[in-house]
Amino acid sequence: MSLFINLWRIIVTAWKHFVRNLWLALTTVFVLVLALLSVNVLLGVNALLTGAVRQLEDKIDVSVYFAAATPQAVLEQAKFAMVALPQVKSAELVSAEQALAQFKQANQNDPKVLDALAELEQNPLGGVLILKARKPADYPFLLEALKNPQFDFAIESKNFDDHAFAINRVREIGASVSVFGAGLIGVFALFSILIVFNTVRVAIYTQREEIGIMRLVGASNAFVRLPFVLEGIFLALFALLISAGGVALALAYLEPNLRGLFDGSEPGLIAYFQGNIFGLAVAQGGTLALLVALSSWAAVGKYLKK
Amino acid sequence: MIRLERVSKVYHPSVPGLRDINLNIGAGEFVSIVGASGAGKTTLAKLLIAEERPTRGKIEIGGWDITGIRSSDIPFLRRQIGVVFQDFKLLPKKTVLENVAFALEVAGIPGRRIRDVVPQVLKIVNLHDKAERFPRQLSGGEQQRVVIARALVHRPKILLADEPTGNLDAINAGEIIDLLLKINAFGTTVVLVTHNREIVNALRRRVITLDEGKIIADHALGKYLIPA
Repeated sequence: MSLFINLWRIIVTAWKHFVRNLWLALTTVFVLVLALLSVNVLLGVNALLTGAVRQLEDKIDVSVYFAAATPQAVLEQAKFAMVALPQVKSAELVSAEQALAQFKQANQNDPKVLDALAELEQNPLGGVLILKARKPADYPFLLEALKNPQFDFAIESKNFDDHAFAINRVREIGASVSVFGAGLIGVFALFSILIVFNTVRVAIYTQREEIGIMRLVGASNAFVRLPFVLEGIFLALFALLISAGGVALALAYLEPNLRGLFDGSEPGLIAYFQGNIFGLAVAQGGTLALLVALSSWAAVGKYLKK
Repeated sequence: MIRLERVSKVYHPSVPGLRDINLNIGAGEFVSIVGASGAGKTTLAKLLIAEERPTRGKIEIGGWDITGIRSSDIPFLRRQIGVVFQDFKLLPKKTVLENVAFALEVAGIPGRRIRDVVPQVLKIVNLHDKAERFPRQLSGGEQQRVVIARALVHRPKILLADEPTGNLDAINAGEIIDLLLKINAFGTTVVLVTHNREIVNALRRRVITLDEGKIIADHALGKYLIPA
């Protein structure tokens, strides 16, 4: 019963303290929000970069051009063999007729090409097999797999997308940036920890006399400490809510405005934050609450010894 | 009630706070501890509430040897001694009622009892109509009465008042001393630490005079002595 009474009093004391020291609380919350936002900005930049690299990777494909008049059965055989490979994400077969129709469509404003085509008695184009791998690293394997004797003889040429080199470079840069980003997030997290610790220390320093008075009238260390710790947790949760609102507003503004940079498709920011909302809230809220609670515990302890 | 045996407190070898103090204060006594600034009055008061530890000697409060009291036991000691300070030491963000109730809350007293007792004590110090005010909204005399109410609320056996009139005018100081006498009349041992000669002389109670950390006089119906 006594434990319950004390627990309830500690909660009430913490809440009253929070309300009656509102300006101090808001200042502390402001610093905590800045710390959380700085980490979230870096997470967002990292998510954008990852999205950009993924989108570029999606553009890589291998186009396999078959000789004209290759029987449809051989084309189907090639597609069947390639689709069976776990490294293949998709395989699209364009028949000779479709290839011709696409060629005509692409050159509809060039009468010379169309006239030259009309001169030919038969379709000069063969079928095309367009392959996409699950990972860019799988393409060399796919190119090797195309050397299958069952259809290799009919392949006229293979066009490993012209962007492959550039995409590889982007991947390398992306990997470096990811490492750099992770490091930067770590550094920011460290700065945030120091800022939060010092903010809590300063907030408690301003209340050192009250701590001394509580001790003088017979409050136990726990009775003095726990309201401060609990108030710190209130502040951390409050900061988490505000920063979550800030992040949501920023996402709502940025996502449509960044589409231009992503060829009109989703930049993936909202998807990243929505997909990880629980983990991010627990990690950020939990870390902040723990940090503030530990800082409060340590900072109050300094004045309890006096 | 209070027993000090050969107690010394040394802050610095050349400036001892207290030297070889032997003292007995019985239950229900009203004792004034007087002396000039630096005589050791406040050091003695701090030793009684374990805010300081003695360098040598033994201190007993109500039969409890607090000489080497553990830090975790100090709150229990302080719940048995009511303390009144010159600078009030009220919690600025708590109302009058909350300041007084806080002394009971820390002891785990049930809420119903607190709601019964606190208004009664506020009535004794004539502050029942200002229960919802914050300390900054009160005069010095009123703040000191809140402190007395807080010290009284858990019915302590000892009330220690360290310069309780130091920040008050003569009228307010008189009211505070009257309150202390009333509390003493109910059986509480009162230890008044002061350097106010008029108050001590008017009281006509036991007076212990300190000088340079030593007891130089202890008279049952004493007066304020000026050390030679």
